[in-house]
Formats: sequence, structure tokens, C-alpha cells
Amino acid sequence: MTYALLITAFVISTCGLIYELIAGTIASYLLGDSITQFSTVIGVYLFSMGIGSFLSRYIEKNVAFTFVQVELLIGLVGGCSASLLFLLFEHVDNFRILLYSLVSIIGILIGLEIPLLMRILKERLDFKELVSQVFTFDYIGALLASLLFPLVLVPYLGLIRTSFLFGLFNLGVAIWTIHLFREQLPWKNSLKTTAYLLIIALVCGFAFADKLTGIAEASAYPDPVIYSTNTPYQRIVITGNTKDLRLFLNGNLQFSSRDEYRYHEALVHPAMASMDNPQDILVLGGGDGLAVRELLKYPSVRSITLVDLDKRMIDLFKEQVLLTRLNGGSLNDAKVSVVISDAFVWLRSAPKKFDLAIVDFPDPSNYSLGKLYSDTFYKALKSALKPEGMVVVQSTSPYYAKNSFWCVDKTLASVGFHTTPYHAYVPSFGDWGYVIGSLEPFKPADEKRYPPGLRYVSDTTVAQMLCFAKDMLPTISSVNRLNNQSLVHLFESEWSEYVDAH
Amino acid sequence: MSTPISRGTFLKGLAGCGIAVLAGKTYVEWLHPSLNFPCRMLGPSKEIAHLLRNHSVEDRGAPKEAISTRVTIVGGGMAGLSAGWWLKKHGIDDFVILDLEQDVGGNSSCGKNEIGSYPWGAHYVPICNPESIYVREFFEELGIIQGHDDAGLPIYDELMLCHEPQERLWKDGSFHDGLVPKRGLQKDELEEIARFFKTVVDYRNATGSDGKLAFAIPLDLSSQDSKFLALDKISMEQWLDDNGFRTKPLRWYVNYCCRDDYGSILNNVSAWAGIHYFAGRRGLAANSEPNSVITWPQGNGFLVEKLKSILTKQIQVGSLVTKVSNENAKVLTTMMDSKTRAYRAISSNFVIFAAPRFVGSKVVANQKFAHSQDLSYAPWMVANISLKNLPDARGLPPAWDNVSYYSDSLGYVMANHQDVTTRSKPNVITYYYPLSESDPKVSRQALYTANPEQWSQRIVEDLQKMHPTIASEIISMDLWPWGHGMIRPTVGFIWGDVRRRMKDRDGNIIFAHSDMSGMSNFEEAQYHGVEAAKTVLSGLSSG
Repeated sequence: MTYALLITAFVISTCGLIYELIAGTIASYLLGDSITQFSTVIGVYLFSMGIGSFLSRYIEKNVAFTFVQVELLIGLVGGCSASLLFLLFEHVDNFRILLYSLVSIIGILIGLEIPLLMRILKERLDFKELVSQVFTFDYIGALLASLLFPLVLVPYLGLIRTSFLFGLFNLGVAIWTIHLFREQLPWKNSLKTTAYLLIIALVCGFAFADKLTGIAEASAYPDPVIYSTNTPYQRIVITGNTKDLRLFLNGNLQFSSRDEYRYHEALVHPAMASMDNPQDILVLGGGDGLAVRELLKYPSVRSITLVDLDKRMIDLFKEQVLLTRLNGGSLNDAKVSVVISDAFVWLRSAPKKFDLAIVDFPDPSNYSLGKLYSDTFYKALKSALKPEGMVVVQSTSPYYAKNSFWCVDKTLASVGFHTTPYHAYVPSFGDWGYVIGSLEPFKPADEKRYPPGLRYVSDTTVAQMLCFAKDMLPTISSVNRLNNQSLVHLFESEWSEYVDAH
Repeated sequence: MSTPISRGTFLKGLAGCGIAVLAGKTYVEWLHPSLNFPCRMLGPSKEIAHLLRNHSVEDRGAPKEAISTRVTIVGGGMAGLSAGWWLKKHGIDDFVILDLEQDVGGNSSCGKNEIGSYPWGAHYVPICNPESIYVREFFEELGIIQGHDDAGLPIYDELMLCHEPQERLWKDGSFHDGLVPKRGLQKDELEEIARFFKTVVDYRNATGSDGKLAFAIPLDLSSQDSKFLALDKISMEQWLDDNGFRTKPLRWYVNYCCRDDYGSILNNVSAWAGIHYFAGRRGLAANSEPNSVITWPQGNGFLVEKLKSILTKQIQVGSLVTKVSNENAKVLTTMMDSKTRAYRAISSNFVIFAAPRFVGSKVVANQKFAHSQDLSYAPWMVANISLKNLPDARGLPPAWDNVSYYSDSLGYVMANHQDVTTRSKPNVITYYYPLSESDPKVSRQALYTANPEQWSQRIVEDLQKMHPTIASEIISMDLWPWGHGMIRPTVGFIWGDVRRRMKDRDGNIIFAHSDMSGMSNFEEAQYHGVEAAKTVLSGLSSG
């Protein structure tokens, strides 16, 4: 029995260190700055263990009984700690209070464990032996935990499963102890029942950890989620409150109803108003129908062809009242024909020629999107234009990613477009950039060419849009090709710099 | 405290253990589903081909009536098709191309399923060297080279130039870009890699005393300067030792390249061939980095399809050639239809024998070449694996070529890499595994004796080292064992007597195959095909 209890020391110390590592890791994930998080978590944890050890003096009678209760509690709290932290992150005002309370509770309970165990063992070993043996097993357990955690547990089980698993070990210790002291424990059966119920709960948590992760991620939006769906291509989430409707694709904000008019007016009107008689328009991407809404303000428009990959997205923006209110039902207009296809593939066999092509793809954050910003793509685009045709390309932010922005400009120029870069301020995005590529040199429209009722674009704002401050000029120049994907490399490095710095 | 365990407790404990084992097993299976995807063993029709080996067709009498053509090309691989291409370009239509399989292509064969096309063998061509004039002519004709810039550099079709990201290497727990090991290297290891590349670049720029390039493509145009040819007499391993290249990451990389291009390992590859891999390629393009490659979803099957469309009238598939013999200034080719098993004969002025020489040794009557036992062909296993999603990133998104530092395989190529479609969807990966370690005869045996389940198990286990969850992503797996996949440039072969004699004609039988170069690649196969066609053309015009 002595050895059984010493092995217990080994198991509980492993579990204890694992909980500490889990809390530190999650805090670093969610709050950033891993040095601070690990340092404070370890500090609070060790201090709480001290409190636990101190409190152990007040436990006078039936030490084994208390030990079992402590193990059950650690199993529950420690086992659920990772999922609690992830799930509650979005729902509590001050995450740190939750974090440090949880760490303190676990710490106090762990602090109680070893003193209680030593008192249980004191009748069986002399003091010298006792201290030596208990701490030997304690520290071996710590080493094992610190090696297992980064090498095996996090990569193969993940944090949530790891925490449930070690909770189960604590419960195992509880049941083992109940068995060892079955002669002298009061309330033996209710302790046992509690232990088994907790085991069932933790096993379920372990088995359904993926579902829990999903719930945790879904709660990452600031406003209530009013619609969400997974399409074969992306996860669409729409959030809304009384004043603002927002669309997220794969977690990235696409528009906010409060200022999307700025983005879409700036995307469409500088090019459209400058053209003499634009009739056939092509929109690539832009399945939300908001650019189409702006295009329909021109009576000269005869046809609008919208090519988007995601049928679910189109259906949503054709049918949902909240959304058709926003795009004015533009996708249901008789002039609009929607093609569900991959833009690059479709463009290579485009059935007709267009006056203007509006290219509104997501930012070039991966290689497959980067292909839609390549010179080969722009060549295909150029051959789908009428002789005096134009394209306008959303080109990420010339402030946050200036070299990426100018790379789009350079790439358009490399296939023979006259380029006119410009930018507009969209509060929910920041300073945002566009490039017009025209087969004839671009001349901005005068005042009366703009359709009535615009809130942002006018001849004077367009003149401002054409000016670039010094901090937006490029430092690297390159053409984005399929075989170098230089835009994706630039975009990655520029945005990551911004994210790191803030 | 010793408590005797009662029978009840023991039984309870036993039941508890049983339940725990069952639960654990179910959970493990739930996490790692068993390999329950369809797996097929495809491959070249070895049953038909082995009729030749077993001599069971040898003495079947030739039919009395023979049809006649000006030229017969035996073998519809890249050499045979290129010979046909050249003949057709130069006004000869009256010829046939015979292939034993149901489709032409040889090592450049390809396949297709509902997800996309994929290669079964050769899957890329480096952009061409200035001296590779036949390749350049072919590429210009197909529009792969679209024009030239002001400096005269070829402009390649960018849909075919290999897209970024091109290569990633799995090392120390994640992928890094490029195939040359980078992560966690010591200073001396890095220095050695740099010195190696400097050495091979020097060779790339070197010319011999005859004024020719030290390492040309096709290799027959290389300098005959003895200081370069001497490299053929030692192994690549010996050369690395002699030049003080000792560190592991570099030797891993060079060995990887030998396995990749020659299906053979360092101690078995001639140093001349080993260096040629690095020093031979000098291609430039107006719109890409030097030494880039062009590739297609179906691999070099793309080139085969183009050649097929030019040669539809001439190609006759399902034709097992059983005998080729010189008869009174004509050449008689006897063949068997692989379906009806009926025999036919063709009498021609010339035969271009564009099948591998180990086949030639069994088919060509009274042949002069008696060294086929000296030829070494590497066995390969190629698998095309359909996946529900892209393989995981683990450090870098999937590249065209994905290699593990810890595997005997060559890793895998994303067959859909050149697609311009967006976002993730099902994909096909092509997995290459040269059986390069042991004697080819032994590994050929191993290649054929293992069943599809054993092979798929082995491949999945290998891929799991890079992608632990890949098993649950697999939709299906097709296997293609190549018994005689590629000729090996063993020590002394490239500039030795055997290869020189392989190029000799045998009466009006002209040989054309990449095994006459000791290297199995498009440029060499095409070179021998075109050269044979040229010989035939001059023979026809003088006769």
C-alpha cells in the first residue's frame, strides 16, 4: 500500500503540472505575450499551492476522506479547465479574472494534495524516508509532465482533450484511494457514485472535444450571429445588431453595413462615370451584390454578368430580406445574370466582351487567391475587354500593405494596361486601395457624370483619392506571376508585420 | 497492508479491464479509421509482355501475307512518338507506331478520374537549354514557348511554368521551403552545401578541350575531354568522398536527387551522371527564374496527348511485337494483337526500334548487341491517391513537390497544382517510390509479390509521418508498379563500351530509346527518337 500511495504522488504531480501548463498555454494563445502569461500563471499557481499547503493544517480528522474529496474536485475543475477557458473567453468581461481564479482554485487543491498524502503515509514510513520518497516521486512526475506536454499531448490530443484526460487520472486516483481505504472511509458509496459520474462526464468531454472547439470558435464574433453556414468553399457568418450588419467569410470581415457604401462607391464609380457609354459589365467575386447595386445606377448598362464561386452565398444575397434590403435586390434585377464558376476558368473561355470588369476578390492571403492577381489572369481579363475597356481591381490596403498594393499596379501594367491607382478611407477596413487598368489613358469624370444620390464619391473626392502620401509609396517592385506568387509573399510579410506590431 | 483478492473482486476487475480495452480500442479506431478506401493495382500489362520472356510466342509462324509501310516504329513511348513527329514533319506519312499497351505514352502515361488528371511516371520537363534544339522546336510548335523577348529569351506559357510554391521539405517536425535541407544545420553543414553548389555551377559553365560543354542536354553533345569522362569511372559516393563532401544533410540531398532522377543511390550512380543532374540544366526564360520547370496536371502525358493528336493515323495500340528481322534490304516485323491473339506482319524499309533494349534482346532476330544483361533498370512504385482535402500545411501550404527528409520514398507531387481554380477541394497526389536500395532483380520481385493492401498500408504509413491524419482523407488509391521503370547510369555506363554499341544500327533496324543515354528523361528520349528519324530520312532519300 505504501508504494500504491507513492505512485499516487507521482500521478498527482504529473496532473498538477499539466494543468499549470494548460493554463499558461491557453493564456498565451488567447491573450498573446507568452512570457507574461506563463510567468504570471506559474506565479499565481505556485502561490496558490502555498495557500493550499497552509490550509492543510486545518484538516484535522479523516485525512483520507478529504484527500478523496480533493482529488474529485481537481478531476472536475482541472479536467474542465481548458474547455472552460476557451468557451468563456468571449463571454466574460475580464478574462484575466476567470483565468487567475481558475488557476488559484486548481493551485490551492494541488497544494493540499501532497501534505495530505504525507500525513496519510506518516504512519507507514519514518520522516526521513517519507520526505525523500514523496518528493522523489513528485519531481519525477513533474519531469514526465513537462516532456509529455509539448511532445505528445499538445500535438496529438490538443489542449482540451489533454485536460480531460488528466482530469480522468485524478479521478482514477480518487477511486484507487477509496478502494485502499474502503474500511475507514465514511460516505463511501456516495463518494464512489460521484467519482463514476464525473468519470462519465469527462469521458464524454474527451470524446466530443471537437464539438466543444467548434462552439468556442463560433463565439468569436463581437455581435450576435444571426446566420451562419458552411459552404463547400467557405464559412459564411452574418452578425448583426440594431445598427450594423456584418458579413464574415472564414472569420474575415467582408463588409459592415455602416460604411460599405464607401467601399463600393469607390470601387465602381470612378471607372464607371469616366466611361462614355458602358453597356456590358463583368463583376468577378462580389457575390454580395453590393457592387452590382452601384452599377445599376447607370441607365446605359445593358447587362451585368456576375461570376462567383459560391452558389450558397449568391442565394443568400438573392433571398434573405435583411440582405436584399442592403443590396437593393440587385441580384434579382433582369439585367443581371449570375454565373457560378471559378473566375479564372470561366474567363479563359468568356463568351463575350465587356466594357468594364470589376474585380472584387478577397485579399491575396493564400496561393490559390494569389493566382487571381497574376499577370496570366490579367492577360485573360484583358482579352475579355472591348477596345476601350477598363478593369478595376480591389488591391488591399496601400497603407498596411503598400508593396502588395503597388505589386497589383505593376502586374496590371506589365500586361499592357494603363494603370490608375487610387484609395479611399473605409472606417471598418482602414485606408483601402484600388487600381484601374484601362486600355486608353484614364480621365476622371466631371461632376455631372456621377449618378445622383452618391454619399461618398464625387469629382472632388476622386481627385483626393488619386493622391498618395509618401508613406504609401512602394519600396519593392515586382510583377506577380503564377511561378513566383510574389504578391502572396509580400502580402503575408506586410500584414504579419502589422499584426505583430499591434 | 496485504489484502487477499477475493474471487468477486478479481472477476469485477477482469470485467473492468475488458470494458476498458474495448472502449480504448473503439476510441483508437475512431481516431484512426482503418484503411477502407478502394485500392487498385494497375500497371503495364506484364502478362502480355511476359509472353515474350517465356518464349511462348517465339516460334509461332509469321503470317504469309505482310502489309508494307515505309517505316515501322516499335514502341509508343516518348522516343517512338518523337520519331513519328519528326518523320511526319518531314513529309513521311506512310509509317505505323506499334505499342503493346492500350494507349501510347510509356513512362509518360497518365490517368484521369472524377477529380482530375495525374501522371503515372514522368511529370515535368526543365525549361530547355540552348543546345536542346529538338526540344525547343517541339515546344515552339506546341505553343509552350509563346515567343521571344528582345534579348532572345523564350517566353513560356505561364500556365505551364511550375507555379509557386514549388517545393517543401519535411524536416524536424514541419515543412520548410525548397528541397535542400535548411533547418537546424550546423555551420560546417551549411558551408559544405554552399561549396557543393559552387562546384556544380563551375561544372555547369565548364567546357572541355574540344570546346564543347562539359555537361550538355542531350548528353551525347557533351565534351569528350577525358578529364570529364573520368568522372564516369567512379561512383557519385566516391566523388563526394574525394571532394570532402561528408556532412549528412548534403549527402542526403545528393542521394535524394540520384533516387529522383535515376532510381538509384549514391554508390551505384556514376559521378558523371550525378553531376549532370546539377550541371546539365542551363535553361533560361524571359518570364521565369533560370532552371525552372514546366509541368501539367497529367505530367508529361500532356506532351503525349499532343503527339497522339498529330499521329492518330499511325498509332496502333495493343500490338505486341514478337519478332523484328532484317530480310533482304527490308525489315519484317511480326506482331500479335493483344486481344484477338492473331498474328500480323509488316514489311518496311526501316524499323525504328523505340522500345527498351531488354525487350529488344528478346525480339530482334540475330542481333549484334549482346550486352542486355549489363543494363540495369530501376523498379518503381507510383501511386495516385485521391484526397478529400489538401494535405495539411504544417509549416507551409502544400507545394508542387513535397518531400520528407526521413523517408525512402520521394514524397508526393500535387497533381492539381497547376489548376487555376480557387479554394480547397478534392485533390490527387502522385506518390513516387523508387526501389533503389537492393539489387533490381530482388526489388522487382518485392514490387510484384506484395499485394495492393500491403502496398497501400506501407504508403499510408510513410505519408502519416508527414501528415498524421491523412488516412481519413483518402478517397481511393491506385498503384502502378514499374518493373523496369528507368535505366540506371551505373558506374562506367554512360561513356563505356556497352552504351556506345547500343547506338549502332542493326541493318535497317535503327534503335531509339532513352536507355541509350543511360538516363530516362524526356530530352534524351526525344533526342534518340529524332536522331533515328533523321537516319531513316536520309536512308529513304538515298535508297
